[in-house]
Amino acid sequence: MNNWQRQHPAAIFISFLNSLKQLIVTLVLVFIFGQTSQGMSSIFFISFFLLILFGSLISGFIGWWKFQYYLKEDELQVKQGLIFRKNRFIRRDRVQSIDINAKVIQRIFGLVELKIETAGGGSEPEFRLIALKRDDAELIKKELLEGKSASQEKEGYLGEISEGMAQSLSLSDYKEAETKEQESSKAFTWDLTPKRLIIAAITSSGVGIAATFMAAVISQVPQFLPDWLINIAIGWIVQSSIVYVGMFLVTVLISAWIFTIISTVLKYGMFSVTKRGKDIHISRGVLEQRQLTLYENRINAVRIVQNVLRQPFGYCAVYVESAGGGTKEEDLSTILLPLCKRNEVMNLLEELVPEYAFEVSYESLPKESMRRYMIKLFVPLFIAAGIITYFFSYGWLAFIFPIAGGTLGYIQYKTAGIESFKEYLCIRSRQLSKTEVFLPKRRIQDMVHSQNPLQRLDQLFTIEVSVLTTVVGKVFSLKHISSQQKENYMEWYSYEESTETLLPEENI
Amino acid sequence: MRSLPDKSLAPKALSVWKISAVIESVFLFLIPLAYWGTMQIWELPLWILYALIAFAAVIAVLDIFIIQTLKWNRWKYKVYENEVELMRGVFIVERVIIPMIRVQHVDTRQGPILRHYKLASVTISTAATVHEIPGLQMEVADELRDQIAQLAREADPDE
Repeated sequence: MNNWQRQHPAAIFISFLNSLKQLIVTLVLVFIFGQTSQGMSSIFFISFFLLILFGSLISGFIGWWKFQYYLKEDELQVKQGLIFRKNRFIRRDRVQSIDINAKVIQRIFGLVELKIETAGGGSEPEFRLIALKRDDAELIKKELLEGKSASQEKEGYLGEISEGMAQSLSLSDYKEAETKEQESSKAFTWDLTPKRLIIAAITSSGVGIAATFMAAVISQVPQFLPDWLINIAIGWIVQSSIVYVGMFLVTVLISAWIFTIISTVLKYGMFSVTKRGKDIHISRGVLEQRQLTLYENRINAVRIVQNVLRQPFGYCAVYVESAGGGTKEEDLSTILLPLCKRNEVMNLLEELVPEYAFEVSYESLPKESMRRYMIKLFVPLFIAAGIITYFFSYGWLAFIFPIAGGTLGYIQYKTAGIESFKEYLCIRSRQLSKTEVFLPKRRIQDMVHSQNPLQRLDQLFTIEVSVLTTVVGKVFSLKHISSQQKENYMEWYSYEESTETLLPEENI
Repeated sequence: MRSLPDKSLAPKALSVWKISAVIESVFLFLIPLAYWGTMQIWELPLWILYALIAFAAVIAVLDIFIIQTLKWNRWKYKVYENEVELMRGVFIVERVIIPMIRVQHVDTRQGPILRHYKLASVTISTAATVHEIPGLQMEVADELRDQIAQLAREADPDE
């Protein structure tokens, strides 16, 4: 493959369908959230629609025609654009992650999409080839992943963070590159079993988001029902508003739950993660197939999440924060293990990212912070419940919420913990789901301790640390640590020997 | 106890902040103005207008004469050999530690008001975050930028 190539012509159709999909999504949103007003004439509307369709077809064609790529040794060159010409050179050592996806549209043509993420932010850190034959995609992936000559192997996957960082990485890469040859033969594979997939789907926490969406959809349903039915329904509703509200909530929750189960199964079905050398290959998806390659030394943090439904059964999900590879649906993280037992995590991490394979016992927070956690949830809900009681009959039922809130606050306090284990900062906290995060000191970009006026009363602080994830930085924080803990972690993170050895600014 | 950072910003920075606060408080008076506008169309009680004006005035005075001074008094920074420490915030007090080996680049920048007062801000970027030291004398800012850049270059990656 030593010349300029175009993508498969299906690219035209795929980009056309993509813009069509967006158009339909917009229309549906307008339909659901904007009440239908007959302001705009339908002819104008349809012609406008057709114009956009035609335009996107043309632009899809031009996009395909003017897009060419050239796979060289260790490098992918791309030129694109009709009016504004653009040339891109994607070098192997700048690649953060490589993603091969087969979405439904691509699967119709038996093609795949290749997504490459490169280091160094910029305006376009990611790059897509939307229609490739699988063989071609694998070829590009192989070239950008492994390179051809062994000498380049030793360069490692650098090009990130500061110069100093790169040096420290290259040293370790050197050693590992030598052993890589032997290692590459034995690979570790972990599959999500069907039983666990089902459990993952049933206990998924996406229910909340789905419920909001369903509520919006269902509230529009009465528009399509015949008038007589609505009249009967309204007569019945007026009699028993509580029952109606209850029915509505139940319908919303059940449909949202089913929706989440199906979407989780489609998303995480056939999930498999393989560790080969320093690369972690993740493939997943039933309809939309996704294959992702991450580098072990690009992983900046590991996060273990146990939601409320999973915790009682000892299940959890493991995410990694990596420079590259994250998706918006997962908060720019990448899911490493969709569902496993909490007590298996250490052994699995030992195989996948051995650096993070440890268990810690967390130091809990001071007594004073219990009050802060409980008050924060109790007081606003208590006031809200007071207002509801004043205006609605049965409003006093709302006092359940402040009690639940206070209890949750207490549980949050009990969950919260912080510990430094060797060169790792470990934070355990809870909103609803119990989350543990392991952060290596050398990946933490900065550390902030803050104190608000309420915390000042009890001499409590909030600790925040930032790491780099896909494209942007991500902040992990723990509220209400004691001032002793604050001092400890400042000292733990500080690179100064002690406070005595500071150099006055003028002398430098 | 880790000692607090001790370098203050340029005294003139306070004047700049006060000027900015004056400009911002002009926008605050848009609220009573909008209310006055609606009063021309509908019958609305007059006392609310006075209340809104008083509210805007109190906030503006507090902001210009008290908050900005508190903010300036709080703002401290210190450059160590291996890290930069910042302290800031009137109500929520923050202390930030940025290790030199995480610093990616340092800039100085100026807006029109800062330039008039011969001041500049220094921004320190890491891979994930950006921090600003606002309002230093231009020479100090340039010196600080070069110093941090130098220290960041020298920072020992094995530490």
